[in-house]
Amino acid sequence: MPKANLVEVKELYLSRGDRVIFDGLSINVKQGLVTAIMGPSGCGKTTLLRLMGGQLQPTRGQVLAFGQDLACLSRDSLTQLRSRMGVLFQSGALFTDLTVFENVAFGLREHGRLSEQELHDEVLLKLEAVGLRGARHLMPAELSGGMARRVALARAIAMGPELVLYDEPFAGQDPIAMAVLQRLIRSLNDQLQHTSILVSHDVAEACAIADEVILLGRGNLLAQGSPSALLNSTDPMVRQFMHGQADGAIPFHYPAPDLINELQTAAARADRQAARATRTGEVSS
Amino acid sequence: MLLDSLRRLGEMVLGRLLAIGAALLMLLQSLQVLPGPKGWQRLTQQLYVVGVQSVLIILVSAAFIGMVLGLQGYTLLKDYASEQAVGQMVALTLVRELAPVVAALLFAGRAGSALTAELGLMKTTEQLASLEMFGVDPLHRIVAPRFIAGVIALPILVVIFDLVGVYGGHLVAVDWLGVHSGAYWGNMQAAVSFSDDVLNGLIKALVFAVLVTWTALYQGYMCVPTSQGISEATTRTVVYSSLMILGFDFILTALMFGGL
Repeated sequence: MPKANLVEVKELYLSRGDRVIFDGLSINVKQGLVTAIMGPSGCGKTTLLRLMGGQLQPTRGQVLAFGQDLACLSRDSLTQLRSRMGVLFQSGALFTDLTVFENVAFGLREHGRLSEQELHDEVLLKLEAVGLRGARHLMPAELSGGMARRVALARAIAMGPELVLYDEPFAGQDPIAMAVLQRLIRSLNDQLQHTSILVSHDVAEACAIADEVILLGRGNLLAQGSPSALLNSTDPMVRQFMHGQADGAIPFHYPAPDLINELQTAAARADRQAARATRTGEVSS
Repeated sequence: MLLDSLRRLGEMVLGRLLAIGAALLMLLQSLQVLPGPKGWQRLTQQLYVVGVQSVLIILVSAAFIGMVLGLQGYTLLKDYASEQAVGQMVALTLVRELAPVVAALLFAGRAGSALTAELGLMKTTEQLASLEMFGVDPLHRIVAPRFIAGVIALPILVVIFDLVGVYGGHLVAVDWLGVHSGAYWGNMQAAVSFSDDVLNGLIKALVFAVLVTWTALYQGYMCVPTSQGISEATTRTVVYSSLMILGFDFILTALMFGGL
């Protein structure tokens, strides 16, 4: 049976100043799957995640989550909708004045109607799931990067969300922490039966756990499909990104004028300035 | 050329107006919900951070300023054989002008810059975005208690400044230079009016408190989320707050004491 779409992006346009970030992007994310959104740095992956969380509004087009257009929701409705989502921010975004336990308990205290004992048990279970039950008394400043990311993951799933958004979960992690996070994202998705959207540019790590990959580039969708389909794609841009080739359809160089011309122009300008300085010196003497 | 300059000027004016509108909107949104029981707890915490932690700098500054006023007043008034009026001079200078202005400038430097840096760092580390995703409005949770705490704390700090400054003046004029203690306190009591002087000084303190805390919170909340962005926002807080304190001090003084 085909899976329903949990998130739909329709004809999305977004620009900042003169820079167009999305130019008519349309994608669907299916319920129950781990979907990896990938693309080169600066292609708007994190921006897309923020649009899906209702933190940004598109210039044009629609972003629908749970069938509702996020731009049309009132503040209260958006708050209600967000209680069905969990977000793992790139920096972890742990509250620095709260302990690990209180960070994980934050959402439950704000919205839950649990007794203190139930809340205590729930938080310990979530921390156990990420292997950090013993670290519950620590402050965020006392955690390593990998541990902070795992605490943030426990906090993101504490409310039992139907959709979890992961922003670059593997960035800056050592191989062990990366493997732990990979296993956690996959196993939590399967055990808790939620939907995961993973923004990453770590091809191997994301492909290892994703059911589907959405590849973005040049403000639009480059490809969408299973990891193996994209890895075997013959499209030059898809191939270049998925296999990490330094140059190709996606240029290595940022757009710039011709190097020789630029060097010659600079040399001519320096000559003119030197000549002007010599003339000024002759006149004053 | 001229059109370009006009366009740039128009853009700059519009930008400033938009920023003022956004800052006003931020303030109104943050204050539209009354604090619940946990809100009072957060307010108390912030009163400690912005108020109690600023007491030391206020005590030291007030003591020295009071001492300098006592010394300068004595030297000046002695030429006219009126050194007995030094208490009156110290008290009126402090209560009407120096206490609200200097305390507000110190408050901007200590508490204002700290508020901007704290909010800026919370924005940079995505803590504000994280609150939003938990359905918690950062304006109510983070901005409102800090704003209210600032508005409560500065007038209290100004009262402390007044008291310590008067005692600083007493130390120099009476204990060191020999002005009669009864004359110091008596002239002060006769000259200082609660409604005209003390109350007007406190109104100034309240206005400065709103300006400094509002500026600090707006700059932190809207800063570019990078280390350079936080640094620039903190600088702007201190510069804008100081200029506003001095500018509004003139306007308020003209309204209160200048017969306008």
